[in-house]
Amino acid sequence: MTLLDGLGMDELRERQAASDLEILTMGITFTVYSDGENIDRAWPFDVVPRLIAGTEWEQVERGLAQRLRALNMFIDDVYNDRRIVADGIFPNELLDDSVNYRPECQGVSPKFGVWAHISGSDLVRGGDGDFYVLEDNLRVPSGVSYVIENRGVAKRTFPELFQQRRVRPVDGYTDELNKLLSSLAPDGVAEPMIAVLTPGIFNSAYFEHSFLAQRMGAELVEGADLTVGDDDCVYMNTIQGPERVDVIYRRIDDLFLDPEVFLEDSMLGVPGLMRAWKAGNVGIANAPGAGVADDKCVYAWVPDMIRYYLDEEPLIKNVPTYRCMYESEREYVLANLHELVLKPANESGGYGILIGDRATPEELEAAAESVRADPRNWVAQPILELSTAPTLVEEGIEPRHLDLRPFVLTGEGSYVTAGGLTRVALTKGSLIVNSSQGGGSKDTWIIDGIADAEPLGTGSTTSAADPPPEPLSQTQSQQQGVS
Amino acid sequence: MALLSRVADRIYWAGRYIERAEDSSRVVRSFGDMLADLPTADAAQWSTLRTVAGSDAGARVSDGSDEMAVVEFLLADPEHHNSVAKTVEFCRENLRTCREVLPREAWQTVNDLALYVRQNAATSLDRRKREAFLTRVINDSRRLDGVLISSMTRDEAFEMWRLGRYIERADMTTRVVGVRAATLLALPPGAVDEFAEVRWMSVLRSLSALQMYQRASRGSIQGPDVVRFLLFDHRFPRSVAGCLAEVRSSLLRLPANETTMQAIEAADRQLRDCRPAADDGVALDNALDGLQLSLIELNNAIADRYLQF
Repeated sequence: MTLLDGLGMDELRERQAASDLEILTMGITFTVYSDGENIDRAWPFDVVPRLIAGTEWEQVERGLAQRLRALNMFIDDVYNDRRIVADGIFPNELLDDSVNYRPECQGVSPKFGVWAHISGSDLVRGGDGDFYVLEDNLRVPSGVSYVIENRGVAKRTFPELFQQRRVRPVDGYTDELNKLLSSLAPDGVAEPMIAVLTPGIFNSAYFEHSFLAQRMGAELVEGADLTVGDDDCVYMNTIQGPERVDVIYRRIDDLFLDPEVFLEDSMLGVPGLMRAWKAGNVGIANAPGAGVADDKCVYAWVPDMIRYYLDEEPLIKNVPTYRCMYESEREYVLANLHELVLKPANESGGYGILIGDRATPEELEAAAESVRADPRNWVAQPILELSTAPTLVEEGIEPRHLDLRPFVLTGEGSYVTAGGLTRVALTKGSLIVNSSQGGGSKDTWIIDGIADAEPLGTGSTTSAADPPPEPLSQTQSQQQGVS
Repeated sequence: MALLSRVADRIYWAGRYIERAEDSSRVVRSFGDMLADLPTADAAQWSTLRTVAGSDAGARVSDGSDEMAVVEFLLADPEHHNSVAKTVEFCRENLRTCREVLPREAWQTVNDLALYVRQNAATSLDRRKREAFLTRVINDSRRLDGVLISSMTRDEAFEMWRLGRYIERADMTTRVVGVRAATLLALPPGAVDEFAEVRWMSVLRSLSALQMYQRASRGSIQGPDVVRFLLFDHRFPRSVAGCLAEVRSSLLRLPANETTMQAIEAADRQLRDCRPAADDGVALDNALDGLQLSLIELNNAIADRYLQF
């Protein structure tokens, strides 16, 4: 870390303290639900930035843009012609029993054929030094507000470092998001009214909902603020009376969106919203049903999708994934369970995941039983050591494991944040990066003019990379929302 | 720019809460100042502040309660939803849910104040530390106004904020005059209170009005003049007339205001009806009750028209 060598440890700690205070005063928080109470906690921030070389990042950007392009073509295809099924590339049975497949969306064609407009893919750097996509979060990924806030804090913490080198700015995201959302307005609307739909103050990501609405000059609305009229248009209740809403950036799950169609006792949604969307009277991002491609089993097909829809080779790696629905792959998984990560396809938030080398023989046996009982619901991946970066902890500066969530916007074109949200496990050896469980965050600097900003070997083991088990991460068990 | 009814409601109440916190702080400060100048027997009067602060419902403080009990009730009591600690917290919670319509510094100011109040409300019971606490609350409340006045677009959200602040302020001035001034004026004929001037000065100080009153009256402190100044001098921004004029100007800038304009007319009439009562404690007390009710009606008219969602 030549970057911070000029500063002594005392100076560094002082800056950490100053940044902590600033975060508290600015009210940059996330909400944790604990003991029946919602606690608004200050956002945990490690002052030591993470560095990634610009040339490497451009590669990642291209890879992510390509990946999301293909995923969107897949979703559009799934709800319409299912060419990919007809051509024998993708098995039909995976769709109809997917918990994130919404039959209500069949036959809908959103603008540009795009369904997952905003995604936050989780990346890890494996032992071979390459970035891997761990999962594609296509529903309501959160964390981008902290990317922007972290940069603001970092600039005030290390003003001299920003003078010395060019760090690619992250501020442009909200403007790009605003343009993307505007492009989803019904035809003929020149200045669309955009609303961010939040479940409300008790949601763990409320800070972000508010932040994005502010930055875009959009309205922050709750379900009760909206009504759908007899004309199938969406209106919000203002002090002037009802006012038309053209685009909704929804931050609530599909199933809560519209009690007329999905969960009928949902208090968070808006009755009639699906009618309005299908009639083309309102744009919704992400589109209902986009989560069908956000499934650990579907994930295994992403490289095939890229080849099928785009006729290109994937530019960013997928973690090798064994699909238990196929006999040969299932046999391999069952024989090697102790050195694999076993994941249920349709769960999120790390539930039901088994890490082979940490499981007891009884747990392994029980897991094998589950696989045999319902093969379609299981996939397995090799275990990978995940890379580390220097982090300021009690003992000084030490390597800690981390991941990275860049945000990708897909509409008529594509946009990838410069860097993304780096989450770091503050406990030694831990792979848990979630802020609700003691994880921290770092500002991520994409820097031009350097070759290898993030050197390998700082605490990560380089694996022998002997296929089939390729390097992979255990944190996949912990991947979930930011909070 | 559209304003959601829900957001309008939160901003209106945020304005009321922070004004309440500021006004209560000022009342406590001026009362402590006054007691230092009075014979010790008067120390028992702390309990009258309960009514001034609009919190007579609380059984936690009674007529015989001492300074510590009353001050704790007014400043720090987490169970008392009109305490300074609570109203600051409510203001923060409200603004936390409408950050997107306010300048960012406004949120930071109230967040900063709320963090301070959480840490220091308990120590404010100590007289030596109380002044710093009260000053911080009063100053930050004004800083919040300053941020909005100097950097917020004059949109509907801004008018909601003004409505909340001025209605709450009118309410507080009415209560201070109704409770403290009416009591002072109601002394039996012939009785002489040698500390009358100290008490009237304290009434003025509790509304930050002493200096402006002295300037307007060339220094002499006469009870009825003080009452007239606090009720009718529309040039003074904490007088009831001044507050109602500000409320009127905000209502005029809001859409479809027939019912709310009727309510402000009614409040103006009630205020005019107080004029003959300025010399008579009992009559004043009654007239101010009518004025209080008209302020409640005004609040309800605004709520019915704009804040239902």
